[in-house]
Amino acid sequence: MDDYLKVANSAIVWVLCGITVAIALGQAILYMRMAKKTAAKVQMPSEIPNKAFRIGLISAIGPALGVFIVMVGLMASIGGPMAWLRLSIIGAAATELTAASLGAQACGVELGGEGYTLTVMAVSWFVMALNGAGWLVVTGVATPALEKLREKMSGGDTVWLAVLSGACSLGIFGYLNVNEIIKGWGNAIASIAGAFCMVLLVKFIVPKCPKLLEYSLGIAMLFGMFCAIMYDIAVA
Amino acid sequence: MDNNYMSEWKKGSIRIGAPTNLLAAATAFIPVIWLCMTYDCWPDINLVLSGWAMVALSFGAFYVVEPISYYAALGLTGTYLSFLSGNIGNMRVPVAALALEATDSKPGTLQAEVASTMAICGSIITNLAFTTLAALVGAAVVAVLPVFISDALTKYAAGAIFGGTFGNFAVKYPKVAVFSLFATLAVKLLINPPAWVLIVFAVFGSLAVARLFYQMDKKKAAAK
Repeated sequence: MDDYLKVANSAIVWVLCGITVAIALGQAILYMRMAKKTAAKVQMPSEIPNKAFRIGLISAIGPALGVFIVMVGLMASIGGPMAWLRLSIIGAAATELTAASLGAQACGVELGGEGYTLTVMAVSWFVMALNGAGWLVVTGVATPALEKLREKMSGGDTVWLAVLSGACSLGIFGYLNVNEIIKGWGNAIASIAGAFCMVLLVKFIVPKCPKLLEYSLGIAMLFGMFCAIMYDIAVA
Repeated sequence: MDNNYMSEWKKGSIRIGAPTNLLAAATAFIPVIWLCMTYDCWPDINLVLSGWAMVALSFGAFYVVEPISYYAALGLTGTYLSFLSGNIGNMRVPVAALALEATDSKPGTLQAEVASTMAICGSIITNLAFTTLAALVGAAVVAVLPVFISDALTKYAAGAIFGGTFGNFAVKYPKVAVFSLFATLAVKLLINPPAWVLIVFAVFGSLAVARLFYQMDKKKAAAK
């Protein structure tokens, strides 16, 4: 039964999956070079790109730890290399598991269950790749059109452009938080406590201690998680 | 002056982003093609297509809705980076937003593009380091981790980040924030539409409310 995992975990699959992971890394490096060059050209203080980079590097540790643990779970069902590939590029554990399972179900079997042959695994892998390609092809082709759309919607009014960006972000995070809140009390507490902590930090503490802003998201995340865990312990 | 640099930046951004995203879409098929060639296990194309059709029913609308909805927050370069590397809501947008704030950059300016690009690149390096680490030692680490810690990270980290980022924007636009959260929650509870409809409602509803308040403030300012 575990034969398919032996194939999925073979050394050559690691190498082949590594190609796409390397492209993601390569793209980031190319863009960093471009950003640094541009900053130097317009005589932007080098502190700006450096600080921004540091913020990205540090603030991503929390969510990346979450990805780390989810990935271990995913490795058990689709194999290490595929989990590594899928979580290093667009796609989340839930998306990939859905894609892999639906691929198997199209063949009338369950993911990793009885009858999950190499042919069925190939269907799962194809479906994951096709699904991920959806976002990549749309952004690969249509992103310049989105930039034009933004220019049109802002009409050259830079104050409105800032409000517009903020409103879009609020909409997205309103949606994401609603999804968390309806999952149950623990998730609702995590998201609400995270929000409150951030509001307190930004309104009252950061004005006195501006250095803290860089770490604010990390602090809010820890606080939100801490409150949710306290709730879990109190209920249990 | 700044305009010239901006159009140069945009050109460079597209020149890097478009080919890399399309290339990655193609190279992601290499492992499965190898699998089928080596073990001669080519599946029936109809099975593949019906599997994809089922997935597209759940995610297909997101291929288009997400790039549009996230665009204003990510910008040109950020969109290429984020949709190649994923983890958009929980990593890319939060770090880009925080970087703009910490460097005091206004959206739409060259400085904002540089700051959000650097922040997103930083987060991608962290992400790749952790997925690679997970591939190498993940199983061993998770085995010794106390359950409440792995619970916290898998169940609650995303929610806390979503909340934190929402809180940051809510300080700046409190009135819009009330709509974004409570109207979306109400629609979810009362109507429970498909996810992509809810995203469209939340984003464009917030945009409409923001426009309304923006116009009102402008009029008030003009009246004075």
